[in-house]
Amino acid sequence: MPGRLLVGALALGALCASALLPALAADPATGAPPGLDLSAPGVAWFGFVPPKAPDYTIAHAFNDYTSPPSGLGPVTDDPAHPFANNEVAREMRITSTYRVADLDNAEGRNLMPWVRDALRRQNALALAGRNGESREARCWETGVPAFHLNPGPMYVIQTAKEVVLLLAGRVRHIWLDVPHSAAPKPSWYGESVGHYDGDTLVVDTIGFNDRTFVDSYRTPHTDKLHVVERFRLIDDGKTLEVAFTVEDPGAFYQPWSGTRNRHRVANPNNRMREPDVCSEVSEDYFNLGLEPAPTAEKPDF
Amino acid sequence: MKFFRVGGAGWAVVLFLSAHGAAAAPDIAGTYWATSYSAKIDVVGGGEPPLTDAGKAAYAINRAGLADGSMVDRARRLCVPDGVPRVLATPYPFEVFQVPTGQVTLLYEMNHQVRVIVMDKPLAKLDSLMGDPWYNGHSVGRWDGDTLVVESAGYNETTFLDASGLPHSAALSTLERIRKVGDRLEDIVTIHDPQMYAGDWQARFLYEARADVRIEDYACNDTHRDLSQVSGVRTR
Repeated sequence: MPGRLLVGALALGALCASALLPALAADPATGAPPGLDLSAPGVAWFGFVPPKAPDYTIAHAFNDYTSPPSGLGPVTDDPAHPFANNEVAREMRITSTYRVADLDNAEGRNLMPWVRDALRRQNALALAGRNGESREARCWETGVPAFHLNPGPMYVIQTAKEVVLLLAGRVRHIWLDVPHSAAPKPSWYGESVGHYDGDTLVVDTIGFNDRTFVDSYRTPHTDKLHVVERFRLIDDGKTLEVAFTVEDPGAFYQPWSGTRNRHRVANPNNRMREPDVCSEVSEDYFNLGLEPAPTAEKPDF
Repeated sequence: MKFFRVGGAGWAVVLFLSAHGAAAAPDIAGTYWATSYSAKIDVVGGGEPPLTDAGKAAYAINRAGLADGSMVDRARRLCVPDGVPRVLATPYPFEVFQVPTGQVTLLYEMNHQVRVIVMDKPLAKLDSLMGDPWYNGHSVGRWDGDTLVVESAGYNETTFLDASGLPHSAALSTLERIRKVGDRLEDIVTIHDPQMYAGDWQARFLYEARADVRIEDYACNDTHRDLSQVSGVRTR
């Protein structure tokens, strides 16, 4: 069968050539640079992968930002009232707690008075066992950077025109290689524009509404919030690092930054499930003063 | 099936073709927006959906409950997903993605519903899908010429087929034929639910390609985009 062998050799040659080409340039279908393909079939990016043995440090990162090695970071827990998330509680066999923000460290002092007052009120509620759940847990849109806090799988769609982030039923669009609009309509996730800087996706977001919190301590912000995120792969592509800087001249004296890494989990048959519908399971059964989940009093059509 | 008979070299060709499948498939990616809306689904060929006696009884209960407020339209009040075919009637724009390879993704602005259509895989058996029901069903797709054929089942029982409360059972399955017609996208859906309908019936939805529209954030109880250009929408 020499003819068949020839066809095979040609096809294999073409296959090899096509396999080599993407190493040289962005994939035309996804626009992704070779070192930042986040949307390969079956790939999901998990914010938390349970450790094989109980590990406090890993468990503590369950649904929190990581502070930068130096410089101002995100608000953290008050050492007098250490925060134990559900994962820490489960692994360490202790009781979970609500978050109480540290207002006396450098990050706490970086908050403008109205922000400190808001957190002081929230701390008092949390210490009284009231309203202790995060905005996300109450089914609200999270804004940015709080979008990244969910420990579940994030799926990414990359096209030449945009990057779409899908996480726990929330969706963000990042418009590539375009400038910001002159006056973006205020929205939950703002207006995100991005570009690839080598193998890093740099995303600049403005145009937020002032109805979200920047973290799970319920730190508020104004509509002047400006977030820059840098997405890149580290650890031989096994980890997606999301490093971000937050500035808001109406809420924070200085910009602050943090990271939130996600782990690559690949299974060729893995596809995004339909997200659980939060508003179905968000009753305040135990009368804990929880914020109601959003429901439409007046359907829009 | 024909590929099962080819030898090693044939497999290389198949691999080569599948590696370039995204480029070979018809291009239906883009943002679309309907120009009209109807609370009551329009049956292809006119007339009413062929409700069985059980279907008639369920429809009467739904309509009475929605009218007197004893039944909550969960899609509009709690912002849960609409289900198929109700989501096809959305007066908000939606976006179609054909990357990554092996799936087509429909992303709706309304309630940021997402449908992932897994390409070239068989649909699991109804019994197993019914154990994991989704609002918008589990979907697989394949190309038939210029048409994306989407088979879905494993639907959550709690949705209506349209805003008037048209019922379905958990055994509902749908078949959609989606294609570009000029600058428009057409979705013809066939409803198969022997418990509620005496025969299969179809509805047809048309959407304009809108490269000028960006999908916006949507949060329950928020003020959303202006729908005044979509005829039939009665904003409240």
